[in-house]
Amino acid sequence: MRARNGFAVLAVAATMAASAACTATGSNGDNGDVTLSVWSWRPEDAAVYKQIFAKFQESHPHIKVDFKPYKATEYNTILSTGLTQAGGPDVAQLRAYGGVQPLIDAGELVPLEGKVAGLTNFETGALDGIRGKKDGKVYGVPLEMSTFQVYYNQDIFTKNQLQPPATWDQMIADAKKLQAAGITPFAVSGKDTWLLPLYNDTFAATRYGGPDFEKKVLAGQAKFTDPEYVASLDVLNQLKPYFPKDMMGLGETDVQTLFATGKAAMIPEGSFALAPMKAINPELKLGVFNPPPPPGAVVAKPLQVGWVDASYGLNAKSDHQKEALELLQWMTTTEFGQQVADNLKQVSLVKGVQSSDPLLGQMVSAYRTDPTPYLMLVDFRYGTPLGSDLQATGLQKMLLGQQTAAQVAGDIQTGVSQWFKP
Amino acid sequence: MRWRVAFWFLLPAFLLYTVFTVYPLLSALTDSLWQWEGTARGGFAGAGNFTSLFTTFPLNRQLGPAFWHTMAFFAGTMLVQNTFGLLVAVLLVELPVARRFLRTVYTVPYLIGGLVVGYLWSLLLSPTFGPLNAGLDAVGLGSLARPWLGDPATALPVVILVNAWQYIGFPVLLFGAALAGLPPEYGEAARVDGANAGQRFFRVTLPLMLPAIGVVSILTFIGSMNTFELVYSLEGAQGNQPTGPGGATDVLGLIFYRVAFQEGGTNAIGQSSALAALLFLFTFGIAVVANRVVRRREASLT
Repeated sequence: MRARNGFAVLAVAATMAASAACTATGSNGDNGDVTLSVWSWRPEDAAVYKQIFAKFQESHPHIKVDFKPYKATEYNTILSTGLTQAGGPDVAQLRAYGGVQPLIDAGELVPLEGKVAGLTNFETGALDGIRGKKDGKVYGVPLEMSTFQVYYNQDIFTKNQLQPPATWDQMIADAKKLQAAGITPFAVSGKDTWLLPLYNDTFAATRYGGPDFEKKVLAGQAKFTDPEYVASLDVLNQLKPYFPKDMMGLGETDVQTLFATGKAAMIPEGSFALAPMKAINPELKLGVFNPPPPPGAVVAKPLQVGWVDASYGLNAKSDHQKEALELLQWMTTTEFGQQVADNLKQVSLVKGVQSSDPLLGQMVSAYRTDPTPYLMLVDFRYGTPLGSDLQATGLQKMLLGQQTAAQVAGDIQTGVSQWFKP
Repeated sequence: MRWRVAFWFLLPAFLLYTVFTVYPLLSALTDSLWQWEGTARGGFAGAGNFTSLFTTFPLNRQLGPAFWHTMAFFAGTMLVQNTFGLLVAVLLVELPVARRFLRTVYTVPYLIGGLVVGYLWSLLLSPTFGPLNAGLDAVGLGSLARPWLGDPATALPVVILVNAWQYIGFPVLLFGAALAGLPPEYGEAARVDGANAGQRFFRVTLPLMLPAIGVVSILTFIGSMNTFELVYSLEGAQGNQPTGPGGATDVLGLIFYRVAFQEGGTNAIGQSSALAALLFLFTFGIAVVANRVVRRREASLT
């Protein structure tokens, strides 16, 4: 049995090798056909991409797409060598913000403004993830985004006669009520510290001012040590009584399980957590909301945290610039965006795309009207120490009672200013 | 003539040792003296990489605590693992049956990788789903239940205990061998003189065991200085952040990992080599001094 399987694998491998050989030597086929090589870090999506690119071929019969996924953890290295040598991709999936800058700085990618007309199908904020920090040009077509918000368990809310809170005081009162009923109000992890900066943005971006603060801090008109930002760090301290007692021992999957099994009523989590939480408990009835502004907030309405995760860009060394641009142009259409939403189950950034899940739809439309950045990812990962590392370390110490919000803010400012110049 | 024979006999070992031990060590040392851009060597840095370890924020604030955590790890391991290991070794020697079987039992965790052990214990110690806290609750000691790995007060002690659990077989084996090598006449003579078991152990066996204890201590020290995988798997490592609640279990091995693979940036090779060189010099220096002390003790015994 095993031998037969091995044989099958060999046969498949041989077929693939043969077809790869064909594409390598014959990418300009006899009849003018072109095969584009597209690289990605999502092997799990390979089957879906095959369907998606089949659609593309229907309207572009002369272009074939060869989708080559690599392991996510090794992708950055593979791509950066692939782009410098022959045999690299024509079109490649790109990381966002700080992650893509080395490739842009090295001139490996083609700026797309004026070449891909469909870039107008995106909001400017959506294009920031793939913008060169130095020249301000756009180097890719945004593929999908993530948002971060509070999920709540509808059954628990109904049983305790609760509504998504409209005011901060209401939210605290609800939390107290849930606690009295023996339910953890917020399933929050202190062990997987990368979540802490996201918790801070979700609960307290309104306190420091969200996108306005971002603009000011980037222009050098504001600092992390400013009273508004310090006060925003302290917001998590005020919520600490409603977090699990053991939060410092709980990882992300632990708190997802607490929430999905009904031991906790609410969880701050990403759009990417919807599927895993449904997998733990398929019966789970979910709602989402963005926390109302805390006392003293600079912004008076709830804000939706969001950021671009991935884009597709064009290798400057590609021999098929024209065809690659056609593919990228197609990736700006609602036809492609709808595929991303329905089949990849991701939040597409193309204007007018309907989300596959109503909750995802709610998150995107909130982001379209009242967006706020995942500040440390979007703006402070362009040098070391990363702003997100500094904030995560500090917030954990703050929640353990080892540091004050002011000390956390001081450390962020000291660390970031080693490389960040407004 | 005799020298020529000796030369040819020594040459293979010498070559192997040079190529696989001396050269890598020296190259790490020379790497630490240069500035690096990724894998390309830049200008001569002198002591720059060494001083930057102590001046770069937040690294400069992480080194001190990590050093003391490493020392505490060593002290705790000596106290728990080696003391308990000696006790087990002595009891096993006295045991008339099942000696070999029990020795194997104590050594089994030694055979499992540190990453696996860490993962198993992190499940056992999980505050919400782990059996330890559930057990405490069940017997009415729920007030003692806590997030063992998430409480700054218990995190490092728990790591030390799990490490001792894993490596207890090491002192048991070494001490067992040393005990077996002791001439039985001394113990018998003491018994004839009317010494009880306690007196025989503390006055006769223990002094004779000092060389073995010395060796185990030195090896424990070296192991503690390099400890990494167990802490990594118990507490996880998140970007360039100190490991454990509030950095409570951050050790030097983890700092090296972060500088080399996460935080070092383009000069990762230079800075991590500098840290490696410092770690090596410190470990080597202490080991040499301790070894000399043990030798002297040994000489005074005979």
